[in-house]
Amino acid sequence: MDAHGGVDLRVEISGISLQNPVLACSGTFGNGREMSAWMDIRRLGGVMTKAVTLDPCAGNPPPRVWETPSGMLNAIGLENKGLERFLEEDLPWLHDMGVPVWVNVAGFTAAEYVEVAREVSRAKIASALELNISCPNVKKGGLHFSADESEAERLVSAVKGAVDIPVYVKLSPRTGDLRGFAGAMVRAGADGISLINTMPAMAVDVETARPRLGNLTGGLSGPAIHPVAVQMVWEVAQEVDVPIIGMGGIWGWRDAVEMLMVGADAVAVGTLNFTDPTATLGVVEGIAAFMRRKGYRRVGELVDLARRGRSGAAG
Amino acid sequence: MPARYLVAVVGRRDYGCASELVCEVPDDFRPHPGQFVHVACGGDGRILRRPFSVFDRGEGTASILVREAGEGSSWLKRRGPGDRLDILGPLGRGFDLCAEGGRLLVAGGAGIAPLRFLAKRLLEEGETCLVAWGMGEAAEYGVLPDVLKKEADVRLACLDGSGGHAGSAVDLAMQLDRESAGQVYACGPREMLLSLAARMEEVDREGLARLQVSVEERMACGVGVCRGCAVPVAEPPGAYRAACSDGPVFRGDELDWMRMAALT
Ligand SMILES: Cc1cc2nc3c(=O)[nH]c(=O)nc-3n(C[C@H](O)[C@H](O)[C@H](O)COP(=O)(O)OP(=O)(O)OC[C@H]3O[C@@H](n4cnc5c(N)ncnc54)[C@H](O)[C@@H]3O)c2cc1C
Ligand SMILES: Cc1cc2nc3c(=O)[nH]c(=O)nc-3n(C[C@H](O)[C@H](O)[C@H](O)COP(=O)(O)O)c2cc1C
Repeated sequence: MDAHGGVDLRVEISGISLQNPVLACSGTFGNGREMSAWMDIRRLGGVMTKAVTLDPCAGNPPPRVWETPSGMLNAIGLENKGLERFLEEDLPWLHDMGVPVWVNVAGFTAAEYVEVAREVSRAKIASALELNISCPNVKKGGLHFSADESEAERLVSAVKGAVDIPVYVKLSPRTGDLRGFAGAMVRAGADGISLINTMPAMAVDVETARPRLGNLTGGLSGPAIHPVAVQMVWEVAQEVDVPIIGMGGIWGWRDAVEMLMVGADAVAVGTLNFTDPTATLGVVEGIAAFMRRKGYRRVGELVDLARRGRSGAAG
Repeated sequence: MPARYLVAVVGRRDYGCASELVCEVPDDFRPHPGQFVHVACGGDGRILRRPFSVFDRGEGTASILVREAGEGSSWLKRRGPGDRLDILGPLGRGFDLCAEGGRLLVAGGAGIAPLRFLAKRLLEEGETCLVAWGMGEAAEYGVLPDVLKKEADVRLACLDGSGGHAGSAVDLAMQLDRESAGQVYACGPREMLLSLAARMEEVDREGLARLQVSVEERMACGVGVCRGCAVPVAEPPGAYRAACSDGPVFRGDELDWMRMAALT
């Protein structure tokens, strides 16, 4: 049937065909070019780009990263070269790779989100958009939209009105009424949900009483947040019937399978890319080996399995 | 081309606060002086690799010099023959060797690592160089100063006056030379780089253009994707470059020293 020994890893979400359910998380994979020195990115299910803002963005003052037990804090601050150069240099390159691309969109005002989304959609070579309304590292925009459901709804419908590709909304672990919020995003037009972004977090050097990050606070990612992400995907999956891309501390195939079993249709690998730039392909192979061992033939058989209460082989 | 290697440690030499780990590497591992390897430093909840400059490249081997600075480097310093290291490399942009005139190398502490490799390369290519190496006290790096003095013209500077020049490596370097050096290469703590840059700027307007520094910044990925290891650069104003992939070596006039100073 394919290169994975009898198991079919293909999934289709929002009309986009993925050769396997493993994507790379926004901000942890650049825009693919650097990583292509380490792996064949055409073998990925998809790539979620680094956040794109309307104007070039220099990002936050260093230090921008700090390691914590089984995790890391980051406050990059959306460093990117802006919409124009992204459309000229990065998006066409990714498109030529033939890999589905979710363009991560960020902004400091709603109008900026809409403009970036419109122009990316107009380029006709992006598969989908991922609205980053959950970045903890910028003062305006970002997480601000996660705190106000009606503002987020207005943003999603404005973006939907300006584009003709699927729109995913990326949720923050700091969302009060998670189910209510996810439902509202779908009613406002979201074609899919991705979660989770990093958790707002902080560390201080007690010798100097100074915060470890130049931005003072940042976002926590890595294995430390994985169980939080699993629970959040589990909850959102009970609420919405649009596709879900699950992410947060995936550190190998087992974590990816776990994410599928609580209701994610696909997964995205983030911080693990920093430890091993070829890790995503290992996750793909690991999922295939697991499916062979358990007798599953299609990825869909794993999705939501934890709720459906099956633990043995599918048949 | 950089790659991921699982290399066997075949030797360890202890030099006071630091240890040299000698590893067996394949022929295709071809580091340039100033490049680094990104090393996985055990488990215990440490998920990020640690950057270490290439210290030497010999027949079938390469080595790093590890100074104990925290938990990861302490784990690494205790490795020895029989252990394997998971490394990515060689990474980053190294030193530019082509320059006219004499070479002055200024090292602070473990900043000697990339400069030792550079000195060896320069001498192999028939160039001359002078190394000013600063440390707290003469015994800090065990017998390493004696070992290196056999290879190159290495002068010590000890802050406590226990050996060589009493004072900083920058003071020593400025006494030794400064007008005649075609190129000044440096690696060490940020304060050292700041004071060296200030002194070079005093020499003449082109002073900073003749300076190449290897900067230390906290890194996550090491391959240019996370934008974590940001270094303030002069052009465009307010911008940053990645220490891991645009550096770790930068020309003095590429950096924004005012913003560098504000970081410390
Ligand atoms: C390009 C480059 C080359 C280097 N070469 C050498 C070398 O040849 N020999 C040597 O002894 N040291 C070198 N260092 C410094 C070395 O990487 C740190 O001492 C080491 O990462 C400390 O890790 P730790 O777990 O012991 O300390 P911790 O403080 O517990 O580390 C916590 C986190 O901070 C990071 N970190 C801590 N100190 C530094 C630092 N000074 N620079 C960058 N990241 C840091 C660690 O990588 C880790 O992610 C180099 C650093 C860079 C950026
Ligand atoms: C260094 C870094 C940069 C990130 N940049 C972005 C970004 O630009 N946009 C975004 O939506 N998420 C960003 N994220 C969040 C990740 O996409 C992901 O949601 C989060 O890290 C959780 O997954 P992980 O634990 O596997 O890393 C970033 C994360 C890290 C660690």
